[in-house]
Amino acid sequence: MLKCTVNGKEIEVAEGTMVIEAFKQAGEDIAHYCWHPGLSVAGVCRLCMIEVEGAPRLMIACNTQVTEGMVVSNNSAKVQEAVKWGLDFHLINHPLDCPICDQAGECGLQDQYMKFGQYDPEMAERKVKKRKVVDLGRKIVLDTERCILCSRCVRFTDEVTKTSELGIFNRGDRSEIGTHEDKPLDNDYAVNVVDICPVGALTSKDFRFKQRVWYLDNDSTVCNGCSTGCNVNVYYNEKGYFRVKPEHNKDINDYWMCDKGRNIFKHVNKENRLLKAIKKTEAGTQMMAPGAAAKDVASLIKNYSSDQVAVVFTGQYTNEEYEDAMMYIDKLGTKKVYHWVNNSESFDDFDGILLRGDKNPNTAGLIKALEAKSLNSTWEQLEAELNSGAIKLVILAGPELQEYFPDIQEKIQLFSKAENLVVLSSNPNPAYRDVDYLIPMKTFVEKKGSFTNFAGTVQKIQKMRLVVSQALSLGEAMQLMAGDELQIGASL
Amino acid sequence: MSIVKRPDIKSSWYVTSIVKGMALTFRNMIYNIFHKDEMPTVNYPEEKYEYGPRFKGSHILTVKKDGSIRCTACMLCATNCPADCISITAAEHDDPEVEKFPISYEIDTLRCVYCGFCEEACPVDAVRMGPEWQQPGLNGSSFVHDIQHLTRRPNLKGGYLSILDEEERHNSGI
Repeated sequence: MLKCTVNGKEIEVAEGTMVIEAFKQAGEDIAHYCWHPGLSVAGVCRLCMIEVEGAPRLMIACNTQVTEGMVVSNNSAKVQEAVKWGLDFHLINHPLDCPICDQAGECGLQDQYMKFGQYDPEMAERKVKKRKVVDLGRKIVLDTERCILCSRCVRFTDEVTKTSELGIFNRGDRSEIGTHEDKPLDNDYAVNVVDICPVGALTSKDFRFKQRVWYLDNDSTVCNGCSTGCNVNVYYNEKGYFRVKPEHNKDINDYWMCDKGRNIFKHVNKENRLLKAIKKTEAGTQMMAPGAAAKDVASLIKNYSSDQVAVVFTGQYTNEEYEDAMMYIDKLGTKKVYHWVNNSESFDDFDGILLRGDKNPNTAGLIKALEAKSLNSTWEQLEAELNSGAIKLVILAGPELQEYFPDIQEKIQLFSKAENLVVLSSNPNPAYRDVDYLIPMKTFVEKKGSFTNFAGTVQKIQKMRLVVSQALSLGEAMQLMAGDELQIGASL
Repeated sequence: MSIVKRPDIKSSWYVTSIVKGMALTFRNMIYNIFHKDEMPTVNYPEEKYEYGPRFKGSHILTVKKDGSIRCTACMLCATNCPADCISITAAEHDDPEVEKFPISYEIDTLRCVYCGFCEEACPVDAVRMGPEWQQPGLNGSSFVHDIQHLTRRPNLKGGYLSILDEEERHNSGI
């Protein structure tokens, strides 16, 4: 450990630490555009200027290692002056785009200008105009004028995805970022460059112009797109959920997430949700409150003996929900509990960065819950019993992310061989048309709980804004179907 | 402890006050009949009062030289609005020079407090508060003004031109 003094604060840092990391550790403010903790050091923005005691000139904090007894500061007039001029150089060709720029509100350049700038520009030259609204494939729009050439995105494609699509072209004030011949930037991690862009040069097509960022709240949770369990921030307001960004977790996803995971908020919004329970009757369909429908199922279950009832789980619910559900399955008395494994042939796939073939957030949790009750029925048994008519009622805890269950139609047809099929699902699906009871469920942003990822790490998810307030959690649904009443305040 | 004052005989003797008040009214009436030009009131709606040029009346969305809407849908007016009466939906424009524009811009003038903060927040002189102050309407919905009303209602005679011109700005090198 090395001792150093940052802006008068004495701290101890590990050997090999850069001064900028020491600043972060001391909780001191330091501007930085090109430095990103997940990438290599470039040292091109020249804004993290520091004064080191004993050194004649200013240095950059991102490329200076801490030495024993080092005394550094960034609050002297000399540093402030250097940072001010550094900023002025960045702004020479930066357009006045803030009103239409999606980054406004979370832009490093804006923050820095409010701190050091607020002066009239001192450049008499005309701004160099560059290309705007360059289409880089399905996901990203590039604005070369706004770019300050920090090269974070270039280093990202070189170092993290190792695809090297992006580069800096031309020289001097005509340099601009881009892909060769404007080829699309379509790798599986491309949207990360939007997150790391300190200005609005790279914007996400999906989020573009949907909301201004200052209207959004955010909470951290765990991505439910696959079994990696990346830590993410979900951004939402009263109009719905709008975007997902990765959150740092050095053991699981570092600073990144995949582009598939960016879509996990879409099924949550009200226009895609199942709002009421649907019961199929002779006269057609009947809309019901979810709780009432579950109670209806409870009275239906009483007509059958316990071994005529089967429960099918998917790995998309929380550990707590499985625990509750198992408790009430005990009460129902059935031992016929099955695990619906989607895409079993690609189950163990891994792309080397984050994406895994198991598209369920909590397969490990489900297997553990089944093992705890020593329930080990196989899928073949289920198929055989459905064909022979031994199972009269199937309760399916349906998938939340239906796009990862391509065989949903066939499976529903299989389950329909039973006299009654109860599907618990957060979203409607054309395959659910002939289901006897369809009961709306809460999604992963509407409940508390935990997911166990592929490696057995248990991570908590948070309850954010309710979209369908009547929807049930799996535990609540099973409780009602087992004939119990819900307790006030006991819900997940 | 509060003291309740009961009306006594003195206070109920109100006729003198009425006579005094009526005398004042009639005195003014007779005076105004003979000095019509000194009258402080106007005969609305035949005569209308002229407000000062700084008066903050109905909102106007300005236009560019080609007649398209100046607003860039930056939402600063909606953010600054203390009455929360502006709702904007932004969209991508076909022209990359414009990039972003409001596909809907609505002001609920019944919620509006006419403070002028929207005008102040606007970075591109897109929303102004004009001189109009008469807004008749049949029901609540006729006070929610859409983009069409705000830019091209008949009173604006083809729309107000924004002082901020993108092309001029571009040519001057900003």
